[in-house]
Amino acid sequence: MSSSTAAAVAAASTPAQPTGAHLGHTSLNIDSLRDLARKELVNVLDSVQGKKGLILDPNLSGPLSLIAEFALLKDHGVEKIYHLQPGPLETDCKNLIYICRPQVNYMKYIAEHIHTHTRVARSGAYTYSLFFVPRRTALCEKYLEDAGVFGEITKGEYHLDLIPLEDDVLSLEWDSTFKELYLEQDTTSIYYAAKALMRLQGIYGLFPRILGKGDYSKALCDMMLRMRREMAVDDLDASQTMQLSQNIDSLIIIDRSVDMVTPLCTQLTYEGLIDEIFHIKNSFVEVDPSLVGTGTNAAGGSASAGAAPGKNKKVPLNGGDKLFGELRDLNFAVVGGLLNKVAKRINADYEERHNAKTVPQIRQFIVKMGGLAAEHQSLRLHTALAEEIMNYTMTDDFNRILEVQQNIVAGIATNKEPEYIEEMINKQAPLTQVLRLLCLYSLVNNGLKAKQFEFFKKEILETYGFEHIITLESLRKLGMLTKQVNTKNTYGLVRRSLSLIVDEVNEHAPNDISYVYSGYAPLSVRLVQCVVQRGQEGGKQGPGNRGGIAGGNGWRGFEDVLRMLPGRTFDETQRVEDGQPRSSKRMNGQPRISLVFFLGGCTFTEISATRFLASQEGGQRDFVICTTQILNGNTLVDSIVQKVPDLHAAST
Amino acid sequence: MAPPTADWLALHDRFYRKQEIYTMLWKQVDLSKYMIAAAPFGGPLALVRDDRKVILVQKQQPVKPSIYLYTSSGKLLEPIQWDKGRIVGMGWTETEHLVCVLEDGTVRMYNILGEYTQFSIGKEAKDNRVIDVQFWDTGLVALTGSFQLIAVTNFEEPRPLPLADPGINEPPHSWTVIPPKFTLSRHVEVLLAVNSTVLVVDATEARDERLQKGPFTKMSVSPDGKFLALFTSAGNLWVVSTDFQKSLSEYETGSSVPQQLVWCGTDSVVLYWDKLVLVLGPFGGYNEYPYDESIFLVPEIDGIRIISREKCEFLQKVPDVTVDIFGIGSTAPAAMLYDALDHFEKKSPKADENIRSIRMELPEAVEACIEAAGHENSHQLQRLLLKAASFGKCFLEIHNADSFVEMCKVLRVLNAVRYYEIGIPLTYAQYQRLTPEALIDRLISRHQYLLAIRICEYLKMRTDRILIHWACSKIKKSNDDEDTICRMVVEKLANKPGLSYSEIAMTAHKAGQSKLATMLLDYEPRAGDQVPLLMSMQEDEMALTKAIESGDTDLVYHVLLDLKRKLPIGEFFRLVNNKPQACNLLESYCKEQDPELLKNFYYQDDRLADSGNLSLLESFHQRDVVDRINKVKVALKLYQEDKNHPFEEKAIEENIRLLQTQAQLEKDFSETFTGLSISSTVYKLIIINQSKRAEKIRSDFKMPDKRFWWIRLRALVEIGDWDGVATLAKSKKSPIGYEPFVEECVKAKQFREAAKYILKCDAHLRAGLFLKIEAFQEAGEQAFLQKDMDTLREIRDKCPNALIQGQIDAYISQLASAR
Repeated sequence: MSSSTAAAVAAASTPAQPTGAHLGHTSLNIDSLRDLARKELVNVLDSVQGKKGLILDPNLSGPLSLIAEFALLKDHGVEKIYHLQPGPLETDCKNLIYICRPQVNYMKYIAEHIHTHTRVARSGAYTYSLFFVPRRTALCEKYLEDAGVFGEITKGEYHLDLIPLEDDVLSLEWDSTFKELYLEQDTTSIYYAAKALMRLQGIYGLFPRILGKGDYSKALCDMMLRMRREMAVDDLDASQTMQLSQNIDSLIIIDRSVDMVTPLCTQLTYEGLIDEIFHIKNSFVEVDPSLVGTGTNAAGGSASAGAAPGKNKKVPLNGGDKLFGELRDLNFAVVGGLLNKVAKRINADYEERHNAKTVPQIRQFIVKMGGLAAEHQSLRLHTALAEEIMNYTMTDDFNRILEVQQNIVAGIATNKEPEYIEEMINKQAPLTQVLRLLCLYSLVNNGLKAKQFEFFKKEILETYGFEHIITLESLRKLGMLTKQVNTKNTYGLVRRSLSLIVDEVNEHAPNDISYVYSGYAPLSVRLVQCVVQRGQEGGKQGPGNRGGIAGGNGWRGFEDVLRMLPGRTFDETQRVEDGQPRSSKRMNGQPRISLVFFLGGCTFTEISATRFLASQEGGQRDFVICTTQILNGNTLVDSIVQKVPDLHAAST
Repeated sequence: MAPPTADWLALHDRFYRKQEIYTMLWKQVDLSKYMIAAAPFGGPLALVRDDRKVILVQKQQPVKPSIYLYTSSGKLLEPIQWDKGRIVGMGWTETEHLVCVLEDGTVRMYNILGEYTQFSIGKEAKDNRVIDVQFWDTGLVALTGSFQLIAVTNFEEPRPLPLADPGINEPPHSWTVIPPKFTLSRHVEVLLAVNSTVLVVDATEARDERLQKGPFTKMSVSPDGKFLALFTSAGNLWVVSTDFQKSLSEYETGSSVPQQLVWCGTDSVVLYWDKLVLVLGPFGGYNEYPYDESIFLVPEIDGIRIISREKCEFLQKVPDVTVDIFGIGSTAPAAMLYDALDHFEKKSPKADENIRSIRMELPEAVEACIEAAGHENSHQLQRLLLKAASFGKCFLEIHNADSFVEMCKVLRVLNAVRYYEIGIPLTYAQYQRLTPEALIDRLISRHQYLLAIRICEYLKMRTDRILIHWACSKIKKSNDDEDTICRMVVEKLANKPGLSYSEIAMTAHKAGQSKLATMLLDYEPRAGDQVPLLMSMQEDEMALTKAIESGDTDLVYHVLLDLKRKLPIGEFFRLVNNKPQACNLLESYCKEQDPELLKNFYYQDDRLADSGNLSLLESFHQRDVVDRINKVKVALKLYQEDKNHPFEEKAIEENIRLLQTQAQLEKDFSETFTGLSISSTVYKLIIINQSKRAEKIRSDFKMPDKRFWWIRLRALVEIGDWDGVATLAKSKKSPIGYEPFVEECVKAKQFREAAKYILKCDAHLRAGLFLKIEAFQEAGEQAFLQKDMDTLREIRDKCPNALIQGQIDAYISQLASAR
């Protein structure tokens, strides 16, 4: 077990090419965040002398590969990289550095490593350093103490919080936030989020205005305000002299509980669909090597993606890939056409070589060819991916699910939709798919009718097993699958007043964010739109007044809708002691920036929709998206589904 | 006044000066009888009787030895009663803590007032004894009797780190350390003089530098860590770079081993033999300073403090600007300016002449005078030099006076701390390196609060730390009643926003004044900071509430774990119960770590259903069916008690029945069934051709017809029992329609089988279904019957057969004309 652990990881976990080249092209210079994280990582590694083995939290190897490439680790004495897993660790490295999240199960593994080492070799043969990301916790330290290894380990912290995925996307990459926060009501992630945002404020200046919706959003905002007050204890000067941000004029916090519907819908943008089908993890996607290899013979047409795991190849998906940058936010319907166009252009570019007659012309072509080859490579990847997606979206199941979904969300559902869900259960379709639809149905209709509720619960328990008593209870607690108590259709009202359903969608030249779901505008992003484009949706004001947030009206005009949505609404202004409440000056010509924080996670599609908002602002406003993690309907529902061990390895 | 150059001595191309700073306040201290450790940056001296030296027993001399702490001016700070074993070495940390290492490996750290903390450097040291220690400002390395090296690199969180085995069997001739901040690896390196060479030892290896010039009987690393001075047994002094790559100079003294070998700044080396101090310059040449008593040399970053019975002196290379101004016959602009002032005061016209002659260089001259003022100890010279600068300024049209103002400020601070009662003879260069903050800390630790506050206010720095420290010591020493102290403290600290009271409150608590502690804690602005104190004050509930308030979940856990440890379980739950935040965290902690506690918790809170779910989950971890059933029964019991979840109760009953049935099935067919759901059980039974048992389960569990049909259909398709499928289709009217039959067959790529059921499906679906099995002709017919133009077109596009295409075209035109 351990030998296999040891072997594979090093090669697989970190890609060879330099990371982060796509960052740092905006006025915020997001790249500097990455540099900070990188420097701290180097300090972590240098704290131990000599050659060392690095043992990584498997959930961190992704985020870390966004921070540093393998060569950097090697330069600082890392000989081998292992994943932190149960079972003994066999290594010839004498100095071991653990980097992990402060989770108790990891402490268990580490203690186990140390115990086996001391049994085999004399004590002191190994040195252990442990760095918690982002900080050490009482829980973990207590465990180490109880396990009797506390004294053996040098402990430290690696303050890696917001990881820049793109110039406009920062993520805490804290995968379990949704479950922790809403089901277990463990607010740790709010604390971390607040810390991270305080750090951002330290770099970019105070956010003049903080708006938000949802109880946890409010908790986050309150915590930030309190942290600022408490900062005075450590450093009065800093807390007073902290300037208002020049670029960022507002922070908008959207609580996932405000909009549970959106993540349950099937994403229809290119990047969203890749995530739905292949699952993008830390901006890497694992695909069959044949998709990226030289051969274009994509595996025999079957849409069973990820059928043979293990030998899959990790491919980075980020703005560094120009073609992907163009495609990611588009509705998948238009991706094919665009790929075609690009293919033709590249072909034409290649053909140019025939026109190159003179030596300078040829040289010019050769110079260009490097870029062409890269473009060609990327085109090959995306054509293959698009083909796979196409195979998937052509299936009956996909289309029927999509149709059911859209009917539910549009509020035109009949009894056909529950019938289809029942059929899915009868077919023993994957439970996550079933629950995704069922929760959507329940959320939109304010719960299921009593009889229906019992029926579906019974069907699910009998078909998928009785452990899902707990799954169903969790979903009930979350309010995602409930019994109808009143028939008041709040969702319908929200849908109407925020025009979430748009019938005529032009996917080629969209004029509204609803293009991302082919006719459904994600509520979460609509709320953001309410704040920044006041008057457009409310229909009371001309488009001329795009006053922006700092001088604008916040939520005003939308109070009625907001009251219908769960959780509190707030609008706080941060001031500095001697200055005006809001900075009126801003850098010439540079767009103002709204930071949008999705607490509890967001989908790629919501990111695309937010980007689309920016494009509507004509260079006046940019958005930077922060999130606790990136999720989709499957990962969201799957985190709630109760897992039990399969002790009998029974075949179904 | 004697000329400033009176105490200068030339050495090669530069000058050295030795200035008296203090006349020592102490009486009759014979330095030769003591082991001495002196803190850099003008810090205090620690003296303890050296037990290797004979001393004349005098009257009234205490039998127990003491460590005496003196300021640089010889003022006794604190005698520390010494009651432990033999001290092997003493050193000072950068925070001015005295570190004493004992023979048995115990390390004691004293602050300047004699309060201490203690730790050990491990078993190796205890077993083999420590024979020597070397210090640097943040750590130490101990040499044990078995010639192993143990490093402690951080006094805050001391952790003994064994270094690589140097592989020697006798003590080194001499040894020293290069502090981590100066090494390439950023980790400490130890230099051991062995035989004729030097071993460099760090945590990973011991490297032989293969030198020939040894044995080296004394070694010393320069204050910037770049150079190493080695004294050979032949009496030569050799200076090399610390990486041993570059030999810089060699000088024959022809003498025996010096008592001390230290660096004076970074360019000259000072040797001390009894009664003689020798300064060796970098380019040969030397100066001698004779003494008629024993002295002690304290290396500083820019010179050497010389401590003797009578006085404290400072030996340094004369700074360049000072040489420029005061050097005999100097015509540097600064010297001209200084001279001009003199003329001006004598009302001599030469003043003007001087200024004219340096017109162009006047700004530099002004700056030089300012800088030189910083290097002077004498107030008079400081004043003269600043005056000269000020005079020069008058002739400048544009001049930024910042540096002048800054220097005036710094000099006021320096003069204040140099005052003999305070006794910190800090030079300008040392002050720059030390930083004002650190200086304030040093004053605080000496309880010089007033001076510290004055300096802070003068330099516009925060006074919080001083006030907190003051309040703490006030509480420790005061005999007043708690209300009075509280009032006194709060009055002084009142108008300081954001000042942290928790440390003060903690002090009060430790001093046994818990009422005062509680009063003070109320002023603490940070919820989180109140928690540790509240915990140690046994204010459990308050601690928990404050921890929750802080929003820091880790702090909440911290309190919870502590409470769980010390309280009876009932009381613990009572405390937690009405705090939902704490409950949630306790739950998620228990789920991972302590399920038993969680059960207890649910039980006492009457959360029977949750408790039932726990048992239910446990059942899935049981290998044995009987154990499984028993666990589920426990869950059932809890749900029954609960009465609020009839649905779940029924489901769990069903679960038990299922497990019992599965146990029977396993006996009958020797196949595994446990772990399967009802549907999967039925499915599996059909796969293994036991449809009767499947039917029985269906009726036992009242499975809806639709699901049962689906399961049967899928299972039969899976095993390819096409006759079975057909029988099923014919058995009675299908509750799920016939479309699923077609689709399942299509999925299994059995087009011919699929075709059998298409005509049973709804008429409007038929065309599409035929198309799926590529029966274009039939598809066309059906579409035509349905007058479905779109499907017809689709069929025509997909159809590869020209004949059928023609037919379909005919349909299309027929339909079109019919419209």
